[in-house]
Formats: sequence, C-alpha cells, structure tokens
Amino acid sequence: MSVAVVPAVQAQASLPSTRELSRRRAISRFRWSILGPLIALLVFVLMPVLFLQLYFSLHQWTVYLGTWWDAEYVGLELFQEVLTDPRFGWAVVRSLSFATGSTIGCFVIGFALAYLMYKPFRGQAFYYIIFILPMLTVPVVVAYTAEMMLYQSGPLNDLITRIIGIEFKPAWLTNPHIALPTVMLLEIWNWAPFSFIIMLAGLSAIPKEPIEAAEILGASKWRIFWGVQLPLLRPVIFLALVLRFLEAMAEFPKTWALLQGGPGTATETLPVYIFLTTWQYFQISKGAAMSYIVMLLMVVIVLFAIRLLRREKRSLDTMYEKAAARQQELA
Amino acid sequence: MRKSQRRRLSAVLRYVVLSMWTLVAFFPIYWMVSTSFKPDTQWFAWPPVYFPDPPTLSNYLNVWLGAEEYTTTQYSISSQKPLISLGNSTIIASISTFLAVLFGSIIAYGVSRYRILSEVRMFQLLMLRMIPPIVVVAPLSLYYSALGLLDTMTGLILIYFITSLPYAVWMMKSFIDEVPREIEQAAEILGASRWRTVFEIVLPLVRSGLVATFLFILILTWSEYLLALIITKTQVATLPIELSKYQGSTEGRVYGRQAALAVGITIPLMIAGLIIRKHLARGFSFGMVRR
Repeated sequence: MSVAVVPAVQAQASLPSTRELSRRRAISRFRWSILGPLIALLVFVLMPVLFLQLYFSLHQWTVYLGTWWDAEYVGLELFQEVLTDPRFGWAVVRSLSFATGSTIGCFVIGFALAYLMYKPFRGQAFYYIIFILPMLTVPVVVAYTAEMMLYQSGPLNDLITRIIGIEFKPAWLTNPHIALPTVMLLEIWNWAPFSFIIMLAGLSAIPKEPIEAAEILGASKWRIFWGVQLPLLRPVIFLALVLRFLEAMAEFPKTWALLQGGPGTATETLPVYIFLTTWQYFQISKGAAMSYIVMLLMVVIVLFAIRLLRREKRSLDTMYEKAAARQQELA
Repeated sequence: MRKSQRRRLSAVLRYVVLSMWTLVAFFPIYWMVSTSFKPDTQWFAWPPVYFPDPPTLSNYLNVWLGAEEYTTTQYSISSQKPLISLGNSTIIASISTFLAVLFGSIIAYGVSRYRILSEVRMFQLLMLRMIPPIVVVAPLSLYYSALGLLDTMTGLILIYFITSLPYAVWMMKSFIDEVPREIEQAAEILGASRWRTVFEIVLPLVRSGLVATFLFILILTWSEYLLALIITKTQVATLPIELSKYQGSTEGRVYGRQAALAVGITIPLMIAGLIIRKHLARGFSFGMVRR
C-alpha cells in the first residue's frame, strides 16, 4: 500500500497547489486528532508510574514507617544492594536459562510439527485444531492442571511407568533440581503452538517456484531444506524466537501459581523474585530498584529485538516487492 | 527402496509423530476435564483414576452455583464468587478489548493510508507489550490507589487497553492494508470526511478482521494474571484470580473444584481461539507472515 502513496506525495512536493496544501493540512489535523489522545494517555498513565518507580528506587521506604512521600533519600544505595544480592544474580541466571530453554524447546517442536504439516494431507485440520489447544488454555489453569498431574504418584508418572515398564517416579514439583525444568516443560507445552502456527504460516507462505526448481535440478529434500527453505524462512524464525524469548522472560503466572519460587529458591525467576520482594517482604524500595534494573535490561533486549525484526521485515518487504515486480513483467 | 514405498513410509512416520504430539497436547486437557467430573475420592487416588466413575456434576454445581447439597464437609467452598468473577472478567475483557480494537483500528487506518506513525514508531509501540508488566506493577498500584482506581474495573480496563493496543494496531493494519484504496478515494472525492470514511467505509469492509482482532485480544486479556492479581485484590477479581484463591486453602487439595472452575474459564477461550484459528498467525506476526 505504501508504494502507492509515495509517488503521490513526491508529486505534491514539487508543485504544491492551494488545494494540495489544504489537503495536507487536513491530513495533519487528522493525524494529530488520532495521535494526540494516544500520547496524552501514555503521558498521563506511564509517566507518573515511571517517575514513582525512580523515586522509590532512590528513597528507602519502609511500609509501616511513615508515608511514602517523606521516605529517606539514599541515592544509589538500593541499586548497590540489589546488584550485590546473590539471590538477584541467581534470579537473572534462572530467568535467562528458563527463557532460553523454553524458547528453544518451543521452536524445535513447533518447527518440526509445522514442517510435517505445511503440505495438505488428510487430517490436517484436525491436527491443527488439537495442536493449538494448549495455547488457548489460561496459564493459571495450566499451573493447576499440572499440579493435578505431576504429584509423585500422579497420572503422568503412572502412565510413563506403564509404558516403559520401569518404575519412573521423579518428584516433578518438589525436587529442587528438576522444579525449574518442570516449569520449562509446562511453558513449552503451553507455547509450542505459538511457534507452530508462526512457522506453519511461514512455511506455507514460501513461494513454490524456487523449491520446484531445486527439485527439478535433483536436489535432495535435505538440501532443499537447508539451501532454499531455511534462508527464506529466516525472518519468520527470528520472529518466533524473539517473541517467545521476551514472553518467557516475563513468565509469571505458571511459576507463581505452581511453586511461588519454591522449593527453596529453585524456581525463583526475576518476576517471581521481584514479586516476593515487593508484595511478601514489603521491601517496596528494593523491589523498585530491582524493577528498574530489570526494566533497563529488558529495554536493551527489546530494542535489540526490534532492530532485528525491522531489518528482517525490510528484507522480506523487498523480497515480496521484487517478486511482485517480476510477476508484473511477466504479465 | 522404491520411491513410492519411501513416500508411504514417510507418510506413516508423519502420522505417528503427529499422533504422539496429539497425545502430549491433549492429555493435560483431558485430565483437567475428567477431574472436573470426578467425585472427591478419585481426585488424587492411587492408582490414578483415568475415567471418572461414576461421573458427577457435583463439582460444577458446587463451584458455579454454590449448591450446598453437593458440598461435602471436608471440601466445602460454597459461595457464588465464581459467577461474580465471570461477570467481572466478561465486562473487563470485553470493554478493554473493544476500546483497544476501536482505537487501534483508527490508528491502523492512519498508519496504513497516511503514515501517521513511521515504521520505527510502530515497532516502538510494541514496547508497551514487550516490557514485562512486573517491572511497573508496584508503582502502578500506588499511582492507582492515589487516583482511586485500585480495585476498580476502570483501572484494570485502562491498563489492559494500553497493553493490548500494540497488537490491535498491528493486526488491524494488516487487514486494512489489504483493502483497495479506490473506494475510499471515491468517497473522498464525493466529499466525505476522513472520519466518515473510516467509520462508514473502511471499518465495515474489514468486519471479519475486526472480529478476528477482537477475539485475539480477548484471549490475551481474558487470561491475564499478574496485573489482575495486583490491581484487583478483592472487589473485582477476575476468573484467573478466583481460580488461584482455591489453592492453599485450609481444606487441602480441592482438585475437582479447581478443575470445574478451570474448565469454565477455558471453554470461552477455546471457542474464541477456534473461531479465529486461521488468523492467529497474523495476530502474532506483525506483518512478517504473508499469505
């Protein structure tokens, strides 16, 4: 669509008639009548919140001692406290490994399923519906259902024992060594459908001509996958990985509802630790300092992700534009 | 091996793999549903009971209708709270989603036709969604309590509106991009204002897109947990919060009741998701997946 707009705008720029000027003014008015409220809303809601956040991370406020506005100014002390807190460090490590692990898990499963399914076959619609169901369950529901299934003599262990014929009894939720991987598996179960639908859409959107050409030239399926499909899928792959990683970094409902950071501190990811500090230990100021650090970390990651996505989107756009141009030439 | 044989083998292999994942994907959902029909002695029996015997509706009647006669003394959680939460969830999710879709589609129209947001700004808009809510939720709750929005529907609607706006804009833009401009140009020549063009021509043309976006965002809002947990406390608890109240109660594990509640929360979501199943990829892909 934007292609159609650009030449028109350039033409206007060379000879602006009064009519064009009034049209442009009308568009600008239209623009600000949309963006004005949006900006006002964001300023009204987000600015005070960010300001409060900064205020609390610089002032030591103890909930039961006085009101928040005459809390004591402590400079960067709280930041220092957070950064030297080994529990915070571990939370960072846990969050990063949780996000990385579940992102890779979701991607591998989602991509594999999508690769098996992108060509039409009997039963495709059925499998598609079943495969997206986990994504359509509420995360808290996933947590409680997991609790119903994962206790030590529960149905999952029982089923696996019956299938493999050997006693199989891991304590999914109470063994500190496997509690975090358990939540990771739940995250993968919950969100593999996300990678699946994105990769499926990506695979079915690949133009057929290059693959057919490669087939005629006698390339093996493996070669076609690595040499043709994968490079064409790169933008979609980035998208699936980046979005999933960001969501996994913010994962709270399952971790919290299922284990509240326990056993011990085994599942204490960043969101859980911030939540505990703020709402259970009532160290509002420490929580705020922690939030600030995490926010900065996430802003850096998000900005990097956005750069990546924009670059990929642009390369995709040029690819489609070229393809469209070629088709027009042929016609 | 001959080529036809190999093809048949790979087809069989495909069905095997897909069916295995079907079991993995479906078993937890089956377990939730079957537990919701089990009498209390079978909730965590050894060996596990795979089929409710006999199936009973008592969990549903107790949880959703507060039916006392189905309340065993040991597991009594009798109140009509879930129905109130259902009302809260419905009102909050639908109003915030409606506002986000309405406002989002106007922005999307502006972006699609007049570039009112550059591509960079469009991506920056996504930050509203991508920054984890946990980092702002504490000051937000203080700010809300100062404004008197804490524990109100308005407060939750406002924050849900803001966080779902990026998805609404992106998804609606992908629909509006597909509408040919000629009709609007005709309307413009006939002297219709831009607002009239939006409401009377463009939005009706993308009706199905509006529905898809609405349901897509409804799914996200319906299942939101953290913001609801902090901002709503007691008065306007949404369904996910209501469900989490069933845990850690002194009565011990009440799996059957939880499951009955969980099924009720999940069904609307699954229906919405299955209606828009073809559009899910579009919602998540920010214009990076074409058809």
